[in-house]
Amino acid sequence: MEDTIKLKDKKKSSSDKRTFRRDFKLNRGLYLFIVPAIILALIFNVLPMLGLVIAFKDYNIFLGDNAIDAIFKSPWVGLENFKNLFQSTDFFRVLGNTVSISVLKLIFAFPAPILLAILINEVRNNKAKRTIQSVSYLPHFISWVVLSGIFVELLGLYGVVNNLLVNIGILKDPVQFWADPQFYVPLIVITDIWKTIGWSSIIYLSTMTGINPSLYEAASIDGANKLQKILFITLPSLLPTIALLFILRLGYLLNAGFDQIFNTYSTPVYEVGDIIQTYVYRMGMGQGEFSFATAFGLFNSLVGFCLIILGNFISRKIFGRGMW
Amino acid sequence: MDLHVTKGEKIFYIINYILLTLFAISIILPFMNVVSISLSSKTAILKGDVNFLPVNFNLASYKYVIGSEQFWNSLKVSVIVTLAGTILSVTLTFLAAYPLSKTNLKLRKPVLYFFVFIMLFNGGIVPNYILIQGLGLYNTIFVLFIPFLISTYNLLLIKNYLETLPEELEESALIDGANKIQVLFYIILPLAKPVLATVALFTAVMFWNSYFPGILYLSDKSLQPLQTYIYELLRAVQNIGEGEVNPEMLALLDTEGIRAATIVLSLIPIVAVYPFVQKYFVKGLVVGSIK
Repeated sequence: MEDTIKLKDKKKSSSDKRTFRRDFKLNRGLYLFIVPAIILALIFNVLPMLGLVIAFKDYNIFLGDNAIDAIFKSPWVGLENFKNLFQSTDFFRVLGNTVSISVLKLIFAFPAPILLAILINEVRNNKAKRTIQSVSYLPHFISWVVLSGIFVELLGLYGVVNNLLVNIGILKDPVQFWADPQFYVPLIVITDIWKTIGWSSIIYLSTMTGINPSLYEAASIDGANKLQKILFITLPSLLPTIALLFILRLGYLLNAGFDQIFNTYSTPVYEVGDIIQTYVYRMGMGQGEFSFATAFGLFNSLVGFCLIILGNFISRKIFGRGMW
Repeated sequence: MDLHVTKGEKIFYIINYILLTLFAISIILPFMNVVSISLSSKTAILKGDVNFLPVNFNLASYKYVIGSEQFWNSLKVSVIVTLAGTILSVTLTFLAAYPLSKTNLKLRKPVLYFFVFIMLFNGGIVPNYILIQGLGLYNTIFVLFIPFLISTYNLLLIKNYLETLPEELEESALIDGANKIQVLFYIILPLAKPVLATVALFTAVMFWNSYFPGILYLSDKSLQPLQTYIYELLRAVQNIGEGEVNPEMLALLDTEGIRAATIVLSLIPIVAVYPFVQKYFVKGLVVGSIK
C-alpha cells in the first residue's frame, strides 16, 4: 500500500518542488478545514502548557486583573518548588504508591485479558462466544463514578461480600473494605481487571483469528493435547501483539488510574492509595498550593512523555510500528 | 477445526465453559446487587438482607429520584453536552482528518506531529483551571464540552480510514466536473460513514461519562451533568426529607436505596443502546490499533 503511494509521488515529482505558498493557493480550502481544529488545540492544549511556567514561580492567583494576568505578575522562584517537592516525604510516598499500583496492574491486569482471550477463543459455540464477549465488554463503557457506587455497595458494611464472609465464619465482624489500607490496593487491582478484561481481550481475540487452523490439525495428528496446542501455537502467535502492547503500556507507568482512585479513595487509605494525580489535585485545587502542585504535575507529565516516546521508539525498532 | 476430539479435550471444553460462565456471572452480579438494593426497603438494606434479589420490593427509591428536580436537570445537561459535543467534535475532526489524509499536502507531517504531541503532553490540572478562569468559561455550560472537542486518537482513526480510499475515486469525480466541496460531501463523506459512526459513538460515550470538568469548573449546581451529580450524591451525606415526602415513603426510603436507584437510572441509557452499537465499538478498536 505504501509502495503504491510512493510510486505515485514519484510520478508527480513536480509537486514535491511545489512550495508551500503555491500549495496553499491550490489547496486553500483543505488548509481551511484544518484551521478550526488547530485553533481549538492551540487554545485548550497549548496555552495550558505555557501556563506550566507557574511551576517556576510563586503563583498568587489574586494578583493582576484575572487568573491569567496573575501568572505574569507572580514572582519567579526558579527551581525552588522542585526543591521542595523532591525533599518532601509526600513526594516519595505518592510516587511510590503510583509506581506500585501501576506495577501491580501490569503484573495482574495486563495478562488477564490474554488468558480470557485464549479461553474465549476455544469456545466452539459461536452464539455462546458472542454472548460472553458482549457481556464482558459492558463494564468498559460505564464510568468509575457509577462503578465506584456499585462496588462500594457490594463491599460495604451491609453488602454482599461482608454478609457472605460473616455467614461462612471467615470474618467475625463486617469489614469496611474500601476504607482499609490493607485491602484498598488489592481491590483497586481486582476491580480494574473486572472493568477492563473484556475490552482488552478484543485485540488478542482478533489476532487469534489470523492463526492458520491447519496448524492445530497438524498438531493433533502429532498427538498434541490442548495445553500443548495453546502453549506452542496460540501463545507464540500472540507474542508480537503482547510484546507491542506491553512496551506501549510501559509508557504509562506513572498513570495508575486517576478516575478509579479518585472515586474510591478516602482519608484512611491516602497512605497507600494516593497517587500523583490525586495528590496534585488535592494540593492544587484543594489547598491552593498552585505552584507546588504544578511542579509535581510538570514532573509527572515530563517523565510520562519521555516514557511514552521511549516506548514507541523501542517498539518501532523491534516491531516496526508504534502508536502513531 | 479438529476432526477428532480427544477425551482430554472434551474435559477441557467443559471446564472452559464452566469457567467462562462463572466469569460472565461475575460481571452481571454487581449490577444485580445494585438493582436489588434500589428495589428494596430501608430496613432490609440496613439489616444486610439484600444480596442479589430485592427484599420488600418497593419503588419508593425510584419515586424519590424521579421526583428530584436536580436529577432531571443534570440529565438534561448531560444530553445537551453529549449531543453538542459529539456533533461538533466529529465534524471538526472529520474536517481536519480529510486534508491530513492527502499525502501530497505540504505541512502535513508537522501538523500531524503537532496533534500527536498534544495527545502525549498536557499542562495539567492547575494551568487548565487558570486558563478556564481567564477565558471566562468558568461556570458555563460550554466548559463541559468546548475544551474537549479535539481528540487526536479519533483524528488518526478517521485519517487512516480515509487513506484507504483509492485516489482514483476523487480524481475521476474531479475530472467529471465536480468541485472539491462536492467531492468531499457527496463521495468521501458517505464512504466514511462506518468510521464516523464509530468515532461518534466513542465520543458520545466519553461526553456522557465525563464528570471531572463538572467538579472542577462549575459552582452552579444547575449546570452539573449527570455523572457529576452522581459523584456528589455518592460522596455527600444525603438529607432525605427535603421536598414532598409522605411518612410511608420516608419509612421505606434509605440513602443507600436512593443512591442505588440513581445509579440504575443512569445506567439505563448506556445499557439500552449498548446491544445495537457494540459492533461499531469493537470494529473501531480493532481498526484503530492496526497502525
